[in-house]
Amino acid sequence: MDFSVLIGGEAGQGMFSVELELSDLLSRLGYHFFATKNYMSRIRGGHNFHMVRVADRPVHALSGRPWDMVIALDDGETQRRHGASLREGGILLGNDKVEAIEKEARETLQDVTASNTILAGIILAVLGADPQKTKTASSDAPTAERLEKGQAFAQRWGMAGKFPVPARAGSHCKLDGNQAFALGALLGGCQFMAGYPMTPATSIMHYFSTVAAELPVHFEQAEDEIAAINMALGASYAGLRSMVATAGGGFALMTEAVSLAGMTETPVVIIVAQRPGPATGLPTRTEQGELNFVLHAGHGEFPRVIFAPGSIEEAIALSRLSFDVADRWQIPVFVLTDQYFADSVQFLEGSAPTTLLQRDYPIFETGYKRYTLTSDGVSPLTFPGLSEARVEVDSDEHTEDGKITEDTALRARMVDKRLRKMDGIAAEAVTPTCFGDGEAGTVLISWGSNRLIVQEAVEILQAEGVPACALHFGQVYPLTPKMTEGLSRKRLICIENNATGQFAQLLKRELGLKVDHLVLKYNGECFTVAELVERIRKIVGRGEEA
Amino acid sequence: MLNQDIAWCPGCGDFPIRATLEKVIGGLPIPGRNIVLTSGIGQAAKMPHYLPYSYFNGLHGRSLPLAVGIKLARPELTVIAVSGDGCQYGEGGNHFIHTIRRRLDITILACDNKVYGLTKGQSSPTTDLGMKNALDPEGNENTPFSPTAVAIAVGAPFAARTFAGDPQHMEQVFREAILFKGPAVVDILQPCVSFNKVNTYQWYRERVFRLEEPFNDRYEAIRAADSWGDRIPIGIFYRDAQFVCREGKELLRKAVTEEAVARLLNTKCIMMR
Repeated sequence: MDFSVLIGGEAGQGMFSVELELSDLLSRLGYHFFATKNYMSRIRGGHNFHMVRVADRPVHALSGRPWDMVIALDDGETQRRHGASLREGGILLGNDKVEAIEKEARETLQDVTASNTILAGIILAVLGADPQKTKTASSDAPTAERLEKGQAFAQRWGMAGKFPVPARAGSHCKLDGNQAFALGALLGGCQFMAGYPMTPATSIMHYFSTVAAELPVHFEQAEDEIAAINMALGASYAGLRSMVATAGGGFALMTEAVSLAGMTETPVVIIVAQRPGPATGLPTRTEQGELNFVLHAGHGEFPRVIFAPGSIEEAIALSRLSFDVADRWQIPVFVLTDQYFADSVQFLEGSAPTTLLQRDYPIFETGYKRYTLTSDGVSPLTFPGLSEARVEVDSDEHTEDGKITEDTALRARMVDKRLRKMDGIAAEAVTPTCFGDGEAGTVLISWGSNRLIVQEAVEILQAEGVPACALHFGQVYPLTPKMTEGLSRKRLICIENNATGQFAQLLKRELGLKVDHLVLKYNGECFTVAELVERIRKIVGRGEEA
Repeated sequence: MLNQDIAWCPGCGDFPIRATLEKVIGGLPIPGRNIVLTSGIGQAAKMPHYLPYSYFNGLHGRSLPLAVGIKLARPELTVIAVSGDGCQYGEGGNHFIHTIRRRLDITILACDNKVYGLTKGQSSPTTDLGMKNALDPEGNENTPFSPTAVAIAVGAPFAARTFAGDPQHMEQVFREAILFKGPAVVDILQPCVSFNKVNTYQWYRERVFRLEEPFNDRYEAIRAADSWGDRIPIGIFYRDAQFVCREGKELLRKAVTEEAVARLLNTKCIMMR
C-alpha cells in the first residue's frame, strides 16, 4: 500500500503549510511517509508543488508512479502540468472544491489559512485515518475542528478511505536533511556558525540561530561568504568548533579561505548544499554538480575530507563525525548535500549517535610551537589565552613557531608535514555501504542523496528477479582501494544528479576503476524510483545505456 | 627591538608604529596572554610577527572577519586588527564597513601610507587624486577614500587619526582606542620611504596639527575627519561615551547537553530556504 499526493499552486498559496501540517500529523499518527518539494525562486506566484508519499513500510524516495491524488490550489496550472500523471481512478481536488474549502475556512472559521489544515484532514481521510485518533493527534482544539471539517468534506465528496494505508510506523522522529546536519553539528560539538543566506543552505543557519537562544552556540550573519568562513576560522582558532554552510555560488567566494584553513591548519566544517549551476543556475532545484569544485577548491596542495551522506541517520552521523575529523587532522572537512536532501522530510530509521563530541583544551607553556613537525603531520593544537603559550598562526609559509619563512628546505618539510596527514586520514576513511545481493554481477554506485532512491530501486529489481546490489559512498574523498575491492569484475552503473558523472571520473582517477554505465539526471529534479528502475532495466536488458 | 629579521625597509613608518604598539599593549591593565592580533597581507600586516602576542595573520583584506570570529568566540580576549590601507580599505572594504556595524569591542588599526608597498608602488584607496603611481602613470583618477569619516558615518563610536612621526600622540590614541569598549578605528598616517615620494615625514610635519578634544557632534566629527590638504587634523575625532557595546556570550568549555539535543530531535521543520 503506497499512496502519493501532489499539492500544487502558486508560491504563497499555502502548499508548504499543508505539507508541514500533514507531515506533523502523519508522524504523530505513526504513518511511514516521505515528503519533498519542488519550488521556484520567487515569493509569490509561479508554480510550486509539494509531494507526500505515505506507505505501510518505510519509504525514503518519490515512487515515480502516477499520483493517487492531485490537489490544485491554483486556477489550472497544477492540473495542466500534473493532470496527465494522475492515475486512473485517482482523486483530483481542483479549483471548485478548493473554493468550497476556502469558503468554509473564511466564513465558518473566520480564517482563510484554516483551509491548509482542512486539506490535511481530507488527505488523512483519504488514507482512512481513524477520526478519533486524528482528533487525539491534533495539537489543539481549533486544529481538531479543522481536521474534522476535512473529514466531512472527504465524506461528502466520496473520497474517504479511497486509498487506505495502515499506520505501521510507531513512534519516530522526522527531520529534513538540513535539520539532520544541524543536529549532527551540535552532536559534533559545534558551537559557532557564520553564514550568508543562500538556498538551499539557509535553514541550517536558521536552526543554529534559533537554538542559540538557549544553547551555548552562536550564529553570526556575515556580510558575505568570505567574511562567514573567515569568522568561522577566527572562532575555531579562538577555541570553538566552527562551521559554515552555503551553496555552490557562496562556496565560490569561500575558496580562498579553504586554502587558508589548509595552510594555517585550522579545523573547520563546510557544508555545501548543491543546486544547479553554473552561476545562479536554478536557485531552488537540485543537482550534484559541485563534487569536482569542492574537491579542487582552494589554491595550493593540502589535505581535505569530503562526506556525502544519503539518509537522515547518515547525515547526523557524518555531520557529527566531521567535527572530530576536522580537529583530529586540523583540516577543512566538507559535507556535500543538495536541495533535494536538504528539503526532504523523512523518518530517522534506527538510531543516531547521541553522545556529544568535544574539543580538547590542552595547556602548553611558553615555547609552544603551533606547527611542530611530527611523524603523522599533526601538531599539538591549543588556543590563545589558556596559558602563557602564544598561538601564532600564519597564512604565509611558516616556521614551526608560526613565523613567516622563505627557507626552501623548511618549505618542503612543511608541505610534507601537511600532506602526510592524508595517510592517517585514508586509514580512518568511512567505508561505503552495500545493499542488496552482494554476489550480484551488477553494482549500482551512488553518493550523497541518491542513496535511498537507489536502495529502493535495487529492492524492486531484485523482486523482478534481476540480481543487483548497490554501493553507497558516504565518504567521497579520499577514496581507498579497500572501498572498491572486487568491484573491477562487476558491471558498474554510477548514478549521479549531474551531467558529466563526476564521481565516476573520481573513481577512475583515484582508484583506476572504470564505470561501465552512467545514469545521469541534470534537469534540476531528483530521480524517482520508477524512473531509475526503468533506466537500469534498459541497461541490464540490452547491456547498454538507453 | 626584537632579535628577529624584520622585513620592513629602513626608515619605514611601521617601525615607530610597532614600538609604540609594544609599549602601549605592554602597559595595558590586561594580561598579555589575553591579547590577540589579527592581520591580513602587506607590509603592515607583518606587524604581529614582531610583537610578543598570539596572532592570526590571515589573507589579504580579511583581518576583520577573523577578529569578529575570535571576539564572538572568546569575549574575554582583547582583539586588535592591524593591517595597511590596501588591506583594510581596499580588499577588505566591505568588512571595514560591516565590522564597525557589528558593535563588537575590536580595535581596527590601519597603517595608512597611501600606496601599495609590497607590490611596489600602485595606488591605494587613500592615494590622493592625480598622484602618479606604477599603474597610474598619468595620475590617480579616483577620489581618495576617507576612512575615519566613513567609519563615523557607518556608526563607529570611536574614530581617530594619528601620525607615525608623533609617537607620543600615537601612544595616547592607541591606548584610548584599545581601552574603548566598542569598535575603535584608528587611521595611522605614515610615509612609505620606498614608494610614496610625496607624503613624506616632512610633508606631514608641515601639515598635521593636534585636535584638542573629540567633537561632541557626530556630523562635525565627520567634517573634521574628512578634511585634508594644507592642514590635516590628527587626534580622536569622535568618541561616544554613551555607546552600548555588544557583549558576546561565554562559550568556551560550555558544552551543549545531550538532553538538549534529544529535545531538539522533536522540533518542527523550518519553513526557510
